[in-house]
Amino acid sequence: MSNNDTHSRRRVLKGAGVTGAAGMMALAGCLTGDEDDENTLEVLHGWTGGDGAEAEEALFAAFEEEHPDIDLDDQAIGGGGNENLDQTVATRFNSDNPPGSFAGWPGANLEQYDGVLGDIESEVWDEADLADAHVEEAVEACQFDGGYSAVPIGSHRMNDLFYNVEVLEDAGVDPDSLDDIDALIDALDTVDSETDATPLAMSLEAWAILQTWAVVMLSTQGYDAYMDFIAGDGDEDAVRETFETLEEILDNYINDDAASVGFTEVNQDIMGGDAAFIHEGNWVAGAYINNEDIEYGEEWDAIRYPGTEDMYGLHIDSFIYPGDNPAPEETATFLRFAGGETAQVEFNQYKGSIPTREGVPTEEFNEYLTETIEDFETASEKPPTLAHGLAVDQSTQSSLEEVLNNNFADPFDVDDATEGFMNAV
Amino acid sequence: MKRLVAILRAIRNKRRIRTDGGTTDERSTVKRWLDSDFLQSAPFWGPPLILMGLFVYGAIGWNFLLSLTDYSGFGGPDYTNLGLQNYSRMVQDPAIWEATWNTVVLLVVFTIACLALGLVLAILLDREIRFGRAFRTIYLLPFALSFIVTAQFWRWMYNVNDGIVNQFIGLFGLGPYNWLGDPRLVLGSVIFALVWQFSGYTMVIYLAALRSIPTEQYEAARVDGAGTFRMYWRVIVPQLRPAIVSATVVLVLFALKAFDFLYAVFDGYRPRQGADILATKMMREGFNNSEWAYSSAIGLTLFILSLAVIAPYLYTQYKRGNL
Repeated sequence: MSNNDTHSRRRVLKGAGVTGAAGMMALAGCLTGDEDDENTLEVLHGWTGGDGAEAEEALFAAFEEEHPDIDLDDQAIGGGGNENLDQTVATRFNSDNPPGSFAGWPGANLEQYDGVLGDIESEVWDEADLADAHVEEAVEACQFDGGYSAVPIGSHRMNDLFYNVEVLEDAGVDPDSLDDIDALIDALDTVDSETDATPLAMSLEAWAILQTWAVVMLSTQGYDAYMDFIAGDGDEDAVRETFETLEEILDNYINDDAASVGFTEVNQDIMGGDAAFIHEGNWVAGAYINNEDIEYGEEWDAIRYPGTEDMYGLHIDSFIYPGDNPAPEETATFLRFAGGETAQVEFNQYKGSIPTREGVPTEEFNEYLTETIEDFETASEKPPTLAHGLAVDQSTQSSLEEVLNNNFADPFDVDDATEGFMNAV
Repeated sequence: MKRLVAILRAIRNKRRIRTDGGTTDERSTVKRWLDSDFLQSAPFWGPPLILMGLFVYGAIGWNFLLSLTDYSGFGGPDYTNLGLQNYSRMVQDPAIWEATWNTVVLLVVFTIACLALGLVLAILLDREIRFGRAFRTIYLLPFALSFIVTAQFWRWMYNVNDGIVNQFIGLFGLGPYNWLGDPRLVLGSVIFALVWQFSGYTMVIYLAALRSIPTEQYEAARVDGAGTFRMYWRVIVPQLRPAIVSATVVLVLFALKAFDFLYAVFDGYRPRQGADILATKMMREGFNNSEWAYSSAIGLTLFILSLAVIAPYLYTQYKRGNL
């Protein structure tokens, strides 16, 4: 091989190397530059399947129909409850690249986003006159840092106890006669002895135990004791008694596989007639409504959790507004729309939730949701949910879940759990 | 550009004929450096070095820096006031100790079980049994599947009521056990599933090493009167040391990263009590609680644990001239 050959080959290789390096730089440049998307309205949410997907499709379709000029990019990020959505939102905030808006709980949950949320009091709340249109609790929950940082889209009820009609008939239990927790425990016992069905379908995921703990506390200790607890002024005896009652229920009347299944799996047992009761937020109603084989009042039904008949256990979903917004005007348009009548009807009729906006026509809603809307208006108290961001901030909620996961998810340790709860809030 | 090339060429050609017929090199240090292999090969090793440096080592360094701040929430880190408070917080956090203990148990039991089971499988297959190839494929197959898939399998199989594991042991009058729900069983159940997935991999490593041992040695051992067990134990297994070492390193690193398996089995960052490891704890602190600095400190601890495993291996390999 001649010297010249070596040189030319080396030069070719060198050129290839340089081209490669330049190519990588160019690629890196391409990945960061998306200047053209400035006016795209990006909305992140976690509604990927079932009732949630149907609801968000209806909502965004209605928005696009009303505002065809706005370029909407709605992205469903599902999985792990809202875990993946929250993670994506956190990453986006940390890289100073927030979306236009994202779905999340208002209330104390907003505190974790301190410093990165924007104020939409004048552009959204005042302009669309939302404060007068929505229920007081929802208005308060969306306030943050002296202004407003979210718009409520709907509310789930947290104190419904759903049941399979046939199983209760077989057991000879009259659901309407259950007026306190003792009556409920007797009923669970009757189901256990009279039928093969699981008395109470339950998932021992930490958040599921937490929401049931909250409703048992409301039932046995009352609204004031609950509100004192979430304010950090809880009575230790009240907390302990709640745990003792809950232990009696969880230790005796739930499914064997509760520690390793999710709520969607146990909800199948209600629909299939393998379990009598389930306590869940009324998102499970979305699954019943979408199941053509079962009818409200015929195969499934619901009562208020015994002892909480006058209350509406409050849960709120909302769209949150990041400051440093990539599309402030488009987002404001969307949020005004979300707080309006059309959006609240379109979304909630499929979601199994109800509008937080008052006086919304109920023709589109089924019988169960219409009754829930009536209850919502007449409820004497609306205790905020402990397991979904309204009552306590994210890190407190996470500590409570940690306590339950470590001390009260079979085996059940009342002492440690009580101590943990008293320390956490 | 043309001028530059001409100048470089002139510099390169500035050599004088020496009296003995060779050439003298009078170029300056800079020019010699410009002409060196080191610089001329830069376009090849440069880009990977920059990318690795930035995205791997730079990220680790930045992570360490973050762990010294008090960064939480979304305000952005403050680098002016650095300290080791997150590390002292870790020492005082009982949940960290529990997660560390579980991580170590997982690591040790999983690695030893995989090595032992893989060895047994490899020796059996090495005996030229019928359908040996088919068995090899069957044993290796789980390794080809993603953690997310196998975790879902095991979630079903471990189900208390309908799971095949309880159905099977029920035939012998045992159980049912709450494999993934009982804090006393959950870590063992997870380790068992991981061993199932990875023992095929160790088997293949061993098998390759076994096949490279000359047949004469087996024959010599036989002639000297060694039984099968004695032959493997005294003659064959000692020669598998390099295979054992490299398999161990890979297994330990996989054990440290068992996060995705746990995430899929427990459908989130919060495994059942008794199965929390440092990786899941790290994710919870970061993405559930927005405790970024604390999460970074846990991450760095995990990194140091991995380093403690891999560093001695790299060092011995380097000593032997394998790197």
